[in-house]
Amino acid sequence: MSAQETNGTLQLPKMQSETPDYNDAYDAIVVGAGLAGTAAALTMAREGLDVLMLERGPAPGTKNVFGGVLYTPTIRELVDVDSAPTERYIAEKRFSMLTSDGDETAVSMRPGAWRDEPHNDSYTVLRRRFDEWFAKQAVDAGVTLITETTVTGLVRDGRKIVGVETDRPDGEIRAPVVVLAEGANSLVSENEGLKDRQEREAVAVSVKEVFKLDRETIDDRFRLDGDAGAAYNYFGEGAVGEAVGGGFVYTNKRSVSVGVAYRIEDAANGQTPEATLDAFESHPAVAPLIRGGRRIEYSAHVIPEGGAKAMPDLVHDGAVVVGDAAGLVLNSGVHLEGTNMAVESGYHAGKAIASALADGRSDEAALAAYPRDLEDSFVVENLRHYDWFQQTIADDRKFLFEDLPRALADAETEYFKMDRTAKDEHTDAARDRLLDAAGGWFGAAKRAWRFRRMLS
Amino acid sequence: MSTAQPHVPDVSIEDRLYTVKYRDAGESHLGVKDPDICVECTSNECTQVCPAAVWTVEDDSDGVPSIAYENCLECGTCRFGCPHDNVRWEYPKTGGGVVFKQG
Repeated sequence: MSAQETNGTLQLPKMQSETPDYNDAYDAIVVGAGLAGTAAALTMAREGLDVLMLERGPAPGTKNVFGGVLYTPTIRELVDVDSAPTERYIAEKRFSMLTSDGDETAVSMRPGAWRDEPHNDSYTVLRRRFDEWFAKQAVDAGVTLITETTVTGLVRDGRKIVGVETDRPDGEIRAPVVVLAEGANSLVSENEGLKDRQEREAVAVSVKEVFKLDRETIDDRFRLDGDAGAAYNYFGEGAVGEAVGGGFVYTNKRSVSVGVAYRIEDAANGQTPEATLDAFESHPAVAPLIRGGRRIEYSAHVIPEGGAKAMPDLVHDGAVVVGDAAGLVLNSGVHLEGTNMAVESGYHAGKAIASALADGRSDEAALAAYPRDLEDSFVVENLRHYDWFQQTIADDRKFLFEDLPRALADAETEYFKMDRTAKDEHTDAARDRLLDAAGGWFGAAKRAWRFRRMLS
Repeated sequence: MSTAQPHVPDVSIEDRLYTVKYRDAGESHLGVKDPDICVECTSNECTQVCPAAVWTVEDDSDGVPSIAYENCLECGTCRFGCPHDNVRWEYPKTGGGVVFKQG
C-alpha cells in the first residue's frame, strides 16, 4: 500500500502510458474497502482480474464500525486468519435480561469446544486494525487500492453501468464491472436507483464506546485467560429502555466494547442514543464491568435490519451490490451477524464476475450466478428463516422486554426466598408470577408457538 | 426488585466526541433539502436521533436546524430518522470527516 495511495490525484502505478488514464485499465472497480468490498476484490484478484478498490477514508477501516464479533469461516478460505489482528476468541456467550429496576437474569455458555482452535470461527476485532489488514491482503494479491477517494455516482452507457464518478479532478473511471460495497449508507446505489432508502422501522442506530482496561483486569472481571474472550448480549428495558433492540459488552485484548442498538423509529420517538447508552452503562449489571475504564472512542452507525424482504436487486448490467449495501444483516435475537455475510457476498460476487468476464460479458444475466449462489448460501437462507423475527418481537415488545424480565426476577426472588414458609408455597407463587406475566397456560402456549421458529 | 442505585455516568457528549478523531473536510457534507419543510416541522426528529449532537433547532429560530457537521460520526441515522426524507447527506470529500481509530 504505497505508491497507489500517495497524493491528491489519481495515479496508476502499473500503467505504462505517459498520461495516467484509468479508463478500462481495470476489469472491475470496487466501491468501498470494507469487508464485503475487500472480499470481492481479493476473490477477483485471485481469479487473475485487475481490480481497483476505492476507499473514501484515509485508510480502510477508518469509516467502519460494528459491535465487535467477527465470524471467520469464509475469511478463513481467503486469507490466513491466524495472522490477522484479532482481539480475543469467543470463549463465552452470555444472554442477559435486564429490568430498569436493576434486576438481571442471565444464561451463560462456555462449551469446552470453543477453547479449541479454530474457536468456532468467532473473534472480537476492532475494525480499524482488521479492515486495514484485510485490505492489505488484497493489495498483496494484486489489487490496487486508492484511499481518500469518494465515489459520487455511476457512469452509464444506456442502461449499462460502465464505471464510476469520483470526487477527484477528472474523476471518471470506467471498467466493465462495478462492485457496490458502500456499506449501510449506500448513497451511490440509492441515488442511482439501484435500491430504495429503507424506512426507519427497518434500520437500527447503534452507539458504542470502547473502554481501555488492563488485560489482567479484563481477564479477572470476565473470568478469562490467554486469548479467551466474552460476548455478552443484553435485552430488556434495562438494556434499551422502551425501544426494540439490545445492548452488548465484548472483550478486546486491552479494551472493552460497550454499546446499544435499537430501531431508529424508537430514537425518533424520543429515546435518544446518548441517554440510552448512559442508562445501559449505568445499569448495576453492566457498570462494574467497565468501572475505571478510560473512554478511548465513541462511535455510531446505522444497521440495516430489514431482513430478506428488504434486500434490493443484487445484480445489474455492469454492477453488483454486496454487504451492508445489500442489507445483509441477521438479527435473530441470539444471532447477530453481518460481517460474515458481507464477506460471503463479496466472495460470491467476485467469483461470478470472474466467470462472466471470462466469457467477455458483464450484463445482468451473465452476473446472475452471484445472486443465485448467495441464495443457496447460509446468507439468504438465514435471512429468510428469521424474516419473521423483527416484526414479531416488535409486536410483543412489552411482554418480552418489560414484563418477562421483571416476572423472571420476581419469580427468582420468590423461588429462592429464605423464610419459614415451606418451599412448596414459594414454588407455587413463583410459577403463578410467571404464568401471570405470560397470560396463563394458554398465553404461555400461544407465545411458545409464536417463537417456536427460534428452535426449528 | 433491587433498590440499588446505579451510578450515573458523569459524561457529556463533548467528553464522548473528544475521543473521536476527525479530519475537517472544510465544508459541510450535511444539509437540508428544503428549508420550508423544516419550518413546518414541529417534531424535530433529527435532533432526537443523532448520537453526536449535530442537529440543533434553536428556540428563537425559524425551525431550520443548525448543523454542527464537524461532530458528525457519519452513522447515517439522521438520513433515516427524518420522517420527511429532508436530510441532504453526502460523503465528506477526499478523505475528510471522521477517522475511527478503533471501530
